[in-house]
Amino acid sequence: MKKNLFPYLLLITCLPVFISCKKDFLDIQATDRISEQALLGDSSLFENFVTNRYIGVRLQDKEGDGTNPGFGRAFEYAMWSSLTDESIYNNDDNTWLVQRGLLAPENTGIAGTIWARSYRSIRECNWALQNIDKVTMSADHKTRVTAELRFIRAYRYHDLIRNYGGVVLMGNDVYNLSDNLQDAKLFTRSTLQESMNYVLAELDAAAAGLPQNNGSNWVNGRATKGAALGLKSRLTLYAASPLYNVGTWVAAVTAAQAVISLNKYSLYTGGYANLFTDATAANTETIFARLYTKNAGHTHLEIANGPNGYGGWGGNLPLQNLVDDYQMDNGKSITDGTSGYNAQNPYVNRDPRFYATIVYNGSTYRGATVETFTPGGKDSKDGPENWNTSKTGYYLKKYMNDAYPLQNPWGNAGFQPWYYIRYAEILLNFAEASNEASGADVVPAGATLSARTAVNLVRARAGMPALAAGLSQTAMRDAIRNERRIELAFEEHRFYDVRRWKIADVTENRPAQGINITRSGSTLTYATKVALDGRAFAAKHYWLPIPRAEIQASGNKIQQNTGY
Amino acid sequence: MRRSTLRGIPAMSRSFALKLLCFVFLGLISCPIFSQISGTVKSGEQPVSDVTVTVKGTTTATKTNDQGHFSIDASPNSVLVFTHVSFTSREMNIGNQQQVNIDLDPLSGSLGEVVVVGYNAQKKATLTGSVSTVKGADLVKSPQANVSNSLAGRFSGMMLTNRAGEPGYDGSGILIRGLATTGSNDVLIVVDGVPGQIGGLERLNPNDIESISVLKDASAAIYGSRAANGVILVTTRRGKTGKPTISASFNQGFSSPTRLPKMADAATYAAISNEVAYYNNQAGGLNQQYSAAEIQKFADGSDPLNYPNTDWADVTLKKSAGQNQSNVSIAGGSDNIRYYLSAGMLYQDGLYKNGATNYKQYSFRSNIDANVTKDLKVSLYLSGRQEDRQFPTSSAGNIFRSIYRAYSTIPAFYPTNGLPSSGIEGSNPAIMSTDIGGLAKNPNSVFNGILKGSYNIPFVKGLSVDGFAAIDKSWNFNKTFNKPYLLYDYNKNTNVYTPRVVGGSNNLGTLNESQQNQTQITANIKLNYQLSFNNHNVNAFAGYEQSEIKSETFGATRQNFPTTQTPELSQGGTAATDRDNSGSSYHFTRKSWIGKLSYNYSEKYLADVQIRIDGSSTFPKGNQYGYFPSFSAGWIVTKESFMNVSWLNYLKVRASYGALGNDNVGLFQYLNTYAFNNQLVLGSSIVPGMELTKLANPNIHWEDARKTDIGIEANFLNDFNLELIYFKQKRTNILAIRNASIPFVSGIVNPFGSGALVPSENIGRVNSKGFEATLGYNKKKADFSYGISGNITYAKSEIINIDEASGVLPYQKQTGQPLNTYLLYNSIGIFHSTDEIAKYPHLSVAKPGDLIYQDYNGDGNITADDQVRSKYGNIPQITYGILLNGGYRNFDLSVVLAGQAQVSQYVLPESGTVGNFYSSWADNRWSPTNTNGTYPRVDTRTSASVNGGLYNNTFWLNDASFLRLKNIELGYNLGSSVLRKAKLQDVRVYLNAFNLFTITKVKDYDPEGNSGSGQFYPQQKIINIGVNVKL
Repeated sequence: MKKNLFPYLLLITCLPVFISCKKDFLDIQATDRISEQALLGDSSLFENFVTNRYIGVRLQDKEGDGTNPGFGRAFEYAMWSSLTDESIYNNDDNTWLVQRGLLAPENTGIAGTIWARSYRSIRECNWALQNIDKVTMSADHKTRVTAELRFIRAYRYHDLIRNYGGVVLMGNDVYNLSDNLQDAKLFTRSTLQESMNYVLAELDAAAAGLPQNNGSNWVNGRATKGAALGLKSRLTLYAASPLYNVGTWVAAVTAAQAVISLNKYSLYTGGYANLFTDATAANTETIFARLYTKNAGHTHLEIANGPNGYGGWGGNLPLQNLVDDYQMDNGKSITDGTSGYNAQNPYVNRDPRFYATIVYNGSTYRGATVETFTPGGKDSKDGPENWNTSKTGYYLKKYMNDAYPLQNPWGNAGFQPWYYIRYAEILLNFAEASNEASGADVVPAGATLSARTAVNLVRARAGMPALAAGLSQTAMRDAIRNERRIELAFEEHRFYDVRRWKIADVTENRPAQGINITRSGSTLTYATKVALDGRAFAAKHYWLPIPRAEIQASGNKIQQNTGY
Repeated sequence: MRRSTLRGIPAMSRSFALKLLCFVFLGLISCPIFSQISGTVKSGEQPVSDVTVTVKGTTTATKTNDQGHFSIDASPNSVLVFTHVSFTSREMNIGNQQQVNIDLDPLSGSLGEVVVVGYNAQKKATLTGSVSTVKGADLVKSPQANVSNSLAGRFSGMMLTNRAGEPGYDGSGILIRGLATTGSNDVLIVVDGVPGQIGGLERLNPNDIESISVLKDASAAIYGSRAANGVILVTTRRGKTGKPTISASFNQGFSSPTRLPKMADAATYAAISNEVAYYNNQAGGLNQQYSAAEIQKFADGSDPLNYPNTDWADVTLKKSAGQNQSNVSIAGGSDNIRYYLSAGMLYQDGLYKNGATNYKQYSFRSNIDANVTKDLKVSLYLSGRQEDRQFPTSSAGNIFRSIYRAYSTIPAFYPTNGLPSSGIEGSNPAIMSTDIGGLAKNPNSVFNGILKGSYNIPFVKGLSVDGFAAIDKSWNFNKTFNKPYLLYDYNKNTNVYTPRVVGGSNNLGTLNESQQNQTQITANIKLNYQLSFNNHNVNAFAGYEQSEIKSETFGATRQNFPTTQTPELSQGGTAATDRDNSGSSYHFTRKSWIGKLSYNYSEKYLADVQIRIDGSSTFPKGNQYGYFPSFSAGWIVTKESFMNVSWLNYLKVRASYGALGNDNVGLFQYLNTYAFNNQLVLGSSIVPGMELTKLANPNIHWEDARKTDIGIEANFLNDFNLELIYFKQKRTNILAIRNASIPFVSGIVNPFGSGALVPSENIGRVNSKGFEATLGYNKKKADFSYGISGNITYAKSEIINIDEASGVLPYQKQTGQPLNTYLLYNSIGIFHSTDEIAKYPHLSVAKPGDLIYQDYNGDGNITADDQVRSKYGNIPQITYGILLNGGYRNFDLSVVLAGQAQVSQYVLPESGTVGNFYSSWADNRWSPTNTNGTYPRVDTRTSASVNGGLYNNTFWLNDASFLRLKNIELGYNLGSSVLRKAKLQDVRVYLNAFNLFTITKVKDYDPEGNSGSGQFYPQQKIINIGVNVKL
């Protein structure tokens, strides 16, 4: 008996020893991630890292919910427009604190993530720029990818500059955990002029290295020369504007003309409304855009913004302030006594872009008539889910695509592109700079058109009558500003425009207005109302506050913006 | 090759099992008859001396000697009675046996009790560490579906908090002596010697548990790198030599929520929505949403279609849900083979009406020990468990969120036709909780096998070798089929019910399946040496252990099912974009050397030395190994001749000190790593994206704990026992991420909602200290016995070093404060009028009804600088328990009260237009018509309100102290005459209640929860009736 058992005994006692025979028992290789060496050793992986810089990291709730954010806020729940006199966000979601002037370093709401996200992307671009020489890649392609990285980095700086003013310029530095992260260099803000000069130079370099066109080797969505020049046009315009005052209108004219002279872009002819629902963005007006598709995560456009009578959440609600700025289709402002505007029948004969941008009482939405009137309107407080009913009496129409489901949209909707830069903006940039530099009708030196011609191109595409010749510079300025407000509504321009024009203390201090429509028999009565109490703007709000956490992390060494 | 060796294990255990089976039969063959009976009395492995052996009904008696041997004259079929002051008495019918060996169970808490400690067992009298124990027999008097819920209040030093009650996820969080680190505070669970056994503690069948030991101090250091948060050792039951005992038990329970918040009724909510509209447009007045006449209709119920008054909890939840447990076991054995076999079944129903939630569990265990030869012993422990969880496709969190959000002004079902309404934004909890939207099935199978062997090396007295190989497996499967279904919106103007499709995706079915398989293989071998000479007793071992854990996960989804009749992956939509899959795996390894030397002189002077050297694959080469030594000593003062004090029966003074570790962090943090993040669309397709996921910390290593523990144990006046412990711990090199000190401009920025970019670094330091006290009294008189015991634990942490921004204000620092405190504005009242606002610093938007925030720094403005740290966090600094037990004749009663104090919980309900209000707020709110309200005015969204989420403040911080009747059980044992007639050994019927009542200041929710929104499946109050039968 004992003899028989001996082998088992031996086995039991020796088993662990056998198992441990392998010397590298503690040596485990990761299978779900790769090392830096592996990334640099494979040019396609490296390029996958580079192109992923078009999207950034998610830094707060209700942002990048379905897919990580790109540049700016885009379509996420509360849109950037709801921090302006374009709209308010029905469910607040940390936008009202901005509308009500509570914006502070400790309360940044949805405006709190630009600083950190931009700097993370800048570091990643710098890392790729510092390491690209280690990657095996054709010289031509390396030039393009280098230019692409510099463009993305410049776009991030542009986001920083237009929100915070002078920024901390990182050069090509890549900070690591082992570095001194209290280095004074990290906390020194350059002046607005220095910041602007740096980014503009970077954009020149990027434009020189980027291909003119997308194609099979440079697919749609990657930046081209036009994107770099387009961004430069925007920044030079900002630089010349009153708030910045670090550039010239002439430079802005030249920059816009550079894009026009590419002779590559033209206004989309399929209609203003369709431009924003065309999922491919493969049109001649697109200069730089973010694309979406099925299974790439989603945004919630339809359900988030649809009227409550349709089961939508009535999210970004156009204000009466915006509605009133749409001209009549005869080109006259509604405040013009000869315009034909009737406050008791306000939605007839307006700028066609009004109908493409705003859902209003009596308009058709998803095959049914919208009813925001009371009593009884299905899209009013008397309709279902009345907590989602519009506070302004309007809903968002721009971008909405009836082909996508409103209910249950998850993964099946939200494929509209987000335009970062489109040609209409360039024309309006040109018009504004040209008018400031040379007046309404003069073709500036080196340019191919006048301010008036440029604006009229945009108006013509929208189906609006042309502006007449002979407008004074001031009248033209007002016309261009209004044209930007209308043409570029909900595209994240208004917030920056009212600031750089230094008119925010007027526009952003106006009450947030909406409309009350009362029905009696077949008669509708229109009366404006306050949609959200307490709208306020103080001088300090011309720039965003740097988040309190950042000021504290710097040991109070980063200079906070004035007034905070 | 390791692979082939591993593959060899199951094969070997199979053939071994066959042999074992043969021994079982051999051992059952009985022996010839003699009238001289002899035998050995043991308790576990230890012989027991001085046991009185009596032939029942006679005066014939003897006592066991030092080896536990006895011999006595008895006729066949007589009954022997074994009694001892430290052990439970046992009776045994000897039948025709000549040789009887018997195992005695130590009396709980008695000094003779043998306590399982790391890698061996020790007599309680000679313990030098802080070890709490509980017997399985006591646990089954609190028949919870989840073992962790049976432990609360039972002993000092252990904090158990039951955070939620959903069947399948109703366990208690376990902390030993509170929080001690900013990292993981998870306790190591060791089952039958296997550290970190897959399957854990919670789902063990309580009837299978022999004992649970909790190592609270440096005595846990023998588990080295995983021991810093304490160790819980579970030992399962084993067969004892003697006649087989068959036990069966059944209990039926009825569970209901401990408490649910009362929500505002329809009329109140309608008035509130008017106020919300008013605050957004004061010019519009106080009836912008509802007229007074409409509010009256909500109140009087005259028009239930258009003006309902819905209690969403009432329409969604049952009054009580059933649960039951049944268990059967057979235990017994001969000299050579002992066996314990059991099977158990558990069923728990969810609380929902027509609900889809339930939990079923089936388990078995087979623990067999065999003496193969005089010196060779083998054991095979096999256990398996099937955990069948089933849920609706909406999570419990979502369902309860919807219950608390849905307005009382919306019907759940239209009274006219019974159609379901769309609730709140397409979430109708009364429908979400059913299987209408599909089912989520989540079966989990667990298998644990342990093969143990021990061999007394024949030529050297006291020398033995033992070891085990253990295989743990779990298979976790999830299949969730989401079906579209209809909810209805009623338009009162047109009298039309408009259907709306919710659920599923794209109005069609969608299916997710996933599988996670986990394997852990542990191997251990150790050499033991035991020596006694004169009064010197030495017990030592040295060993080696290694373990390997692998986990593989894969998942697949399919969308756009043409029909919901075919919920199978193969039957879904056919487009390429309708399919998706995923997968991941991890693998890590550990190897360890362990050693322990115990010495005592005459069981009077005691000393233990332990060491463990741990190696872990989590850390880079050069940092893989850690050393964890510990020392402890004890002195039994009452064994000294000079301590001859009559009232003091026993006094021990002990102390321990040791180094322990914590390695519970993510793998591969010593590398810069990149992973795919495929969200970018270029052209018309998603392109692979590479994302930087982790920056390297090439220096990562263990988190270190140094634990000091000083205790005294005393028995006095015969019936009292007392234990006092002072403990302190220094936790250094805490593995934490830098998330406050790194400026964003560096570009090192952690993302929201996914893993940090920054690696864990050994940067934190936390000290903690406290005391434990236990005082007990037990008395037995004739047929009346009773006992009372109380315990209290105070554990306070102090952050010595934590990552903080260099510019943080001194009074807002976490450094110097306990862990887990809140940073809040001090709410010091409510502005009742504009006059009051003018008199005190306030926010620019302050209106009457807003909270007054203290201008803490006195600068005349309310800014973030006015926030201050709360005194307490949501982990209690004080926990206590009171245990009562009594017996009178055939009745027995046991009571466990558990409480906590010095604890705060922040709860800001999701209210406004996004959700209903707790009635405590709704009824007491400030409003233009109730300017004396004690709660702030209502707002559109609490999360974005100046009275809530924008300025988180102490108004929403509650004192979450409570005293709770955790468990009460009244049992009745059937009389022996009845039993004899029925040929049964023992029958006990009982009535039991869990969480029967709670005393607390918290108004709306269960104070044991930790949800900041209060939206969770509530803790359960459970009434049980049950019966245990032994034959």
